[in-house]
Amino acid sequence: MPPSPAPGSQVSPTPHIEVNGLELYYGSVPAVRGVSFNVLPGEQLTLLGPSGCGKTTTLRAIAGLEQPTAGEIRIDGVTVYSSQRGISIRAEKRGLSMVFQSYAIWPHMTVFENVAYGLRVRRKVAAEIAERVDRALEMVQMRNFASRRAAQLSGGQQQRVALARAFVFSPSVLLFDEPLSNLDAKLRADMRIELRELQHRLGITSVYVTHDLEEALAMSDRIVVMRDGLIEQTGTPDEIYRLPNSAFVADFVGSANLIRGRHRVDLDTDGLTALETSAGHIVYGMAYERAVGAELVVSVRTVHLRISTEPPAAMQNVWRVPVRQTVFQGDFTQVHLGWGEQHLIARCAAMEPLAAGQQVYIAVEPRHVVVLAG
Amino acid sequence: MPSAESSFSAQKFAGYGVAAVAAVLVLYPVFFLLQAALDVGDPQVRPPTAYGLDNFSGIFQYPQILLNTLTVSVAATVMSLVFGFVMAWILTRTNVPGRHLFEQLMAVPYYLTPLLGALAWSLLGSPESGFINQVWRALGGNDHLIDINTAYGIAWVMALFEGSVAFVMIAAVMKSMDPALEEASQIMGAGRLRTMLRITLPLVVPGVLGAAIFVFAEMLGSFAAALVLGTPSRYYVITTAIYQLVQQYPPKIQIAAAMGASLFAVMFFMLFLYRRIVMAGSYVTITGKAFRPRVADIGPLRYLLLGVCLLYLFAAVGLPLITLLYASLQKIAVAFPAADNWTLENFRIAVTMNAVRSALGNSLLLGFATATIGVVLMGLLAWLIYRSRLPGSGLIEYVVMFPQAVPRLVFAFGLMWAWVVFPIPIYGTLSLLLIAYLTVFLPLGVRTIAGVMLQIDKSLEECAQMCGASWAFRVRTVTIPLLVPGLVAAWLLLFIASIRELGASILLMGPHSKVITPSIVESWFGTSSELTAALALIQTLVVAIAMIVLVTITRRVGAHPVE
Repeated sequence: MPPSPAPGSQVSPTPHIEVNGLELYYGSVPAVRGVSFNVLPGEQLTLLGPSGCGKTTTLRAIAGLEQPTAGEIRIDGVTVYSSQRGISIRAEKRGLSMVFQSYAIWPHMTVFENVAYGLRVRRKVAAEIAERVDRALEMVQMRNFASRRAAQLSGGQQQRVALARAFVFSPSVLLFDEPLSNLDAKLRADMRIELRELQHRLGITSVYVTHDLEEALAMSDRIVVMRDGLIEQTGTPDEIYRLPNSAFVADFVGSANLIRGRHRVDLDTDGLTALETSAGHIVYGMAYERAVGAELVVSVRTVHLRISTEPPAAMQNVWRVPVRQTVFQGDFTQVHLGWGEQHLIARCAAMEPLAAGQQVYIAVEPRHVVVLAG
Repeated sequence: MPSAESSFSAQKFAGYGVAAVAAVLVLYPVFFLLQAALDVGDPQVRPPTAYGLDNFSGIFQYPQILLNTLTVSVAATVMSLVFGFVMAWILTRTNVPGRHLFEQLMAVPYYLTPLLGALAWSLLGSPESGFINQVWRALGGNDHLIDINTAYGIAWVMALFEGSVAFVMIAAVMKSMDPALEEASQIMGAGRLRTMLRITLPLVVPGVLGAAIFVFAEMLGSFAAALVLGTPSRYYVITTAIYQLVQQYPPKIQIAAAMGASLFAVMFFMLFLYRRIVMAGSYVTITGKAFRPRVADIGPLRYLLLGVCLLYLFAAVGLPLITLLYASLQKIAVAFPAADNWTLENFRIAVTMNAVRSALGNSLLLGFATATIGVVLMGLLAWLIYRSRLPGSGLIEYVVMFPQAVPRLVFAFGLMWAWVVFPIPIYGTLSLLLIAYLTVFLPLGVRTIAGVMLQIDKSLEECAQMCGASWAFRVRTVTIPLLVPGLVAAWLLLFIASIRELGASILLMGPHSKVITPSIVESWFGTSSELTAALALIQTLVVAIAMIVLVTITRRVGAHPVE
């Protein structure tokens, strides 16, 4: 496997996994309604979305554990599923590997036996098995546990064993089905970093499913945001976060204020797009080369709203508003502000306490006001 | 990597192969049962020369039998439900001493079988020689105190045993009720009585109703108690009537078939109704979550309730066993035996008599064969139905669960009729009994194994697949090792069920293929009640040993965390 080229580099290599027009129905209930994306060699791609969006189903279809209704899946240029050509290669013949949400550690085997399974299937000789299992357990820091049974392991340890078992036989692709969702928050944060490092070290192509935004942002080269069986947006973590193209993505990926209004073409200046809300506020934002219609929705992240008690220096996007409520949440304080008929939410770190009813200034830079597509 | 999946797949081949075997086992005899029921031509000629519904209208020539069946079934159902409900309430909702132990003991009556109960209660309650009536007369009473050879006697014995089934069903409903529902009522200011009437009862009703229908269907098809207790007084219910019509000379096969088919139809409908009620009506059992039910502190009253529990178990387990032992140790069983009446002769005969030894040997052999073949067949079926996702698995589930709705006697009738015309001379051999057992125990085996199978997280198998293992390799290295405890339990259950089987065996066994339970019945009617008591105890001992092994194993499984 060649090492991963930086995303957006000049050469565009042949995709390692190609998913085209994938549809999957359970009876008449749609789970995936037509999804297409590519995964480049060595890339870590994440399918992100709320539960029921079809992300796990898509992953399992790539794995061969679910039978799609229509579409085509190619791995390494080989068609493993095609509804038109009537091809459906069984999961065990696709040369992939997977880490399951429940870890799926076999309780009747030791840690060593669990990890050795894929090598035994491939009829490796005993010496090679011992050597490779040892190396894999070393990589996940579980070498001392080789003779333990699964029941004697903690959740985090089971997770590591599941991981070692998944990569020990050098599969061409690793699939992850919400592998960290059963761990507690602190362990999850640690494992996130470990997984990312391991993935880089192995240089293995991986598809990762999660509903956890932070996980997706921290671990992915690219993210595919899904909703109701369709793709909402595909992009790098930065693109997804900075330039959401729909209200759904803006809201799901972090917290955002969505502001609706009429496009005031007459006020557009220097690449800025002007919008007038129903309460008469003028908001300047940026369209980032997206088509701008007559009715607009813009997204402003809660962390980009600045609150001050003194008038700020900026000329645009500054309003004097009343504080409705403040909610202390530890690392930040969430401030609810009245703004005409709607209200805005701002998240500020370390702030002077504000009283309800107090008048403050809020400001936001136009580049942080993102015009959503269509 | 092949470019396309080969059309041949071991998985599909195995799956559909087993499904076909199950379908033949179940549907072949049912077909012959229906054929005989619709045959209105010359009974001596096969295949039938004319078809019609006359046999069904012929059933109404026996109005007494239909009435008897209803009387016994209704009485037995009501009594079972009372036993089941009272015991369930006591053991799940009050702080009666030792309730966890009692809860486990409640399964014992079910394993003791109605046949054993009927034999014991016949010794206790027959109007002339029954021990209870002897004591009654010794105390100066006239005539007899109780008569077990009546509709209510039969119902009483049936209810003692079916009570443990009703208990399991009703206790499950009571356990699955979130105590917060009652607590909420009390927080809103309702008193205990009001909570009981307005919350607890309505929540439990669907479950109890379901249990009632299930028990009633079982009672309609039950055979052993009516055979032992009803035959002496010529009191027939539908199952014993079918047996009589088939056994008498000349046999009235067609009318018996019509009765069997009708009984089958009624039971099928009842079980369908039961499933509907359980699925739709019960708000309580839907979550499948086990709650710790609220246990009421009932003060000193709990010792009274303890007495109730002890009384039930005594009537259903203790008394029958003591009675059989008491009778088996006497030359002529009486309530007040003289010193020279005691003997061990009955047990000596039981273990040395050739007929008994061969019957016991045959039963053990059949038990081993049924359990061993059954575990493989039913394991594959369970996997096929609940795991494979092969198309058509839902239909296979229906076929496999079919024998549940057919009394074993009626099923055996279909089998008998089917295999008599089979070109291979299988009728009257142990092979036919093996086929019969494998068929009638399909629901039992498949459900037991499926229960364990469904506990195993699916991803354990999928993960093996992702590691590249073929189906056969996965089954061998992951599925079977995980299933082993469940398979062993299923093996023992099938073994026990085979050893105790009566309804199917009594019609199908030939003179050279006798098995133990029908032999016990034959001995009861033909030889002596003392010897019969000894035989019944020996059979119980075999079953008890198997039970103890079973309980030990399931305990171990419970301690072993399989996901």
